[in-house]
Amino acid sequence: MTKRGMVLQRLPIIFAFISFILVSPALGSTALEAVETNVSAVLDVLRDPALKDDSAKEAKEKKLWSIADTMFDYPGLSKRTLGKNWETLNSKQQEEFTDLFSTHLGNVYLDRILAYSNEKVVFDKEKTKEDRALVNTRVLGPSKEIPVDYRMVLKDSGWKVYDVVIEGVSLVENYRSQFKEILRDKGPEYLLETLREKAGDKGR
Amino acid sequence: MRYFFLVFAVLAAFLLGCAYKHSGPPSLVVPDAAVTGNAQGKDRSESLPVLERELQAGLPFDGVDEFDDLDEPEAEEEEVRISDPLVYWNKAMFHFNDKLYFWLLKPVATGYKAIVPETARIGVKNFFHNIAFPIRFTGCLLQAKGREATAEACRFMFNSFFGVGGFGNPAKNYPHLNPPEEDPGQAFGRWGIGNGFYIVWPVLGPSTLRDSAGLAANHFLNPVSYVEPARDSFAITGARVVNNSSLTLGDYEAFKKAAIDPYASMRNGYVQERKKKVEQ
Repeated sequence: MTKRGMVLQRLPIIFAFISFILVSPALGSTALEAVETNVSAVLDVLRDPALKDDSAKEAKEKKLWSIADTMFDYPGLSKRTLGKNWETLNSKQQEEFTDLFSTHLGNVYLDRILAYSNEKVVFDKEKTKEDRALVNTRVLGPSKEIPVDYRMVLKDSGWKVYDVVIEGVSLVENYRSQFKEILRDKGPEYLLETLREKAGDKGR
Repeated sequence: MRYFFLVFAVLAAFLLGCAYKHSGPPSLVVPDAAVTGNAQGKDRSESLPVLERELQAGLPFDGVDEFDDLDEPEAEEEEVRISDPLVYWNKAMFHFNDKLYFWLLKPVATGYKAIVPETARIGVKNFFHNIAFPIRFTGCLLQAKGREATAEACRFMFNSFFGVGGFGNPAKNYPHLNPPEEDPGQAFGRWGIGNGFYIVWPVLGPSTLRDSAGLAANHFLNPVSYVEPARDSFAITGARVVNNSSLTLGDYEAFKKAAIDPYASMRNGYVQERKKKVEQ
């Protein structure tokens, strides 16, 4: 066999190898898969019979929070929620805001997911553009289905959620509209005080 | 008996016609599949530019390119705005509706929920949804959405017949029979009419000037409005509200808990949702 023949014969293998190298970083790390992994993990915890008991409440919340912590981009999300007003807070206030708001948002999100714990979640599709992605999911309830979309950004540690859009309503945008009025009328300290009360309801 | 077969034949022909038009297989919802819905949405794509066609290939009836949002982060800063000149009236009505829910609707719906099994309540919900078909159908027609209008008509026939008067919703399993829901208010938005200003109606809840005109149109398109005497019409509407609320108990409470300023949150949520629907 000639040398050329050898190469030709091995071409499919070489090709397969190259395509594997090209594809493999995407395996297990697309935005859709990140959402699916995290949401499934949350649902598993919620459905775990060993954690259903009230005495296991603390362990359950700890588990849920550890999933939420890997799922969300808290600083990006907080900054985005305040928008232009972010700059009007001093760095200490920014830090506290990020902490309180992510706690509150985590509570809200887990509350909503908790309400869906007996329902099926369908992970539909994703659209990716450079370091951003939009993942569409649907929660199939007995009487209706609720579209839940995740806006994501690619960080060093993987895809992170920076906004959740439920039935066409962006949470970040919704909070921004609320905070804007509070900041305009009452100032940052009042906003933080309100958040302290809200997040304190069921803090970690 | 002969008439029954005739009706059946006509319906069958109609439904086959529907099935033919949409050509895609009636794929059931496939869980955990990233490719759900790929089979649909291709028949109208011929007239679209290549790029749009590619973007739309994924979803049935997907008119919006949400991908725009991903281009620049600044684009998302540009939130929906709405003027609120009636803020004092609106806040009073928000408060009134809030009390109406907690003091009247919630206790009644909770009692009703305790008596009537969920399956029956979903059936009643389906029935009311089905007979409100003229609202959605007109919404499609006003926007010249032929494909969606056909789908609405097909679903109405399908559910009225196979869903036994609309109590069942067998069309649920066919994505091409479930277009995004339209109404006249959305059509006005599509025509380029802006929101005007925000207004909260007692009982009816949040709306805008434009959507209030839509609500008036809905009233005339809803068959329940034509029930005589008017007292019965009101009673039927009341029954619908109680029934449907019994299926969403807890949602409003969760909304209030999530909100830092419930009034502002509802206003923004309403306007965002409508904007999305108009774009759809």
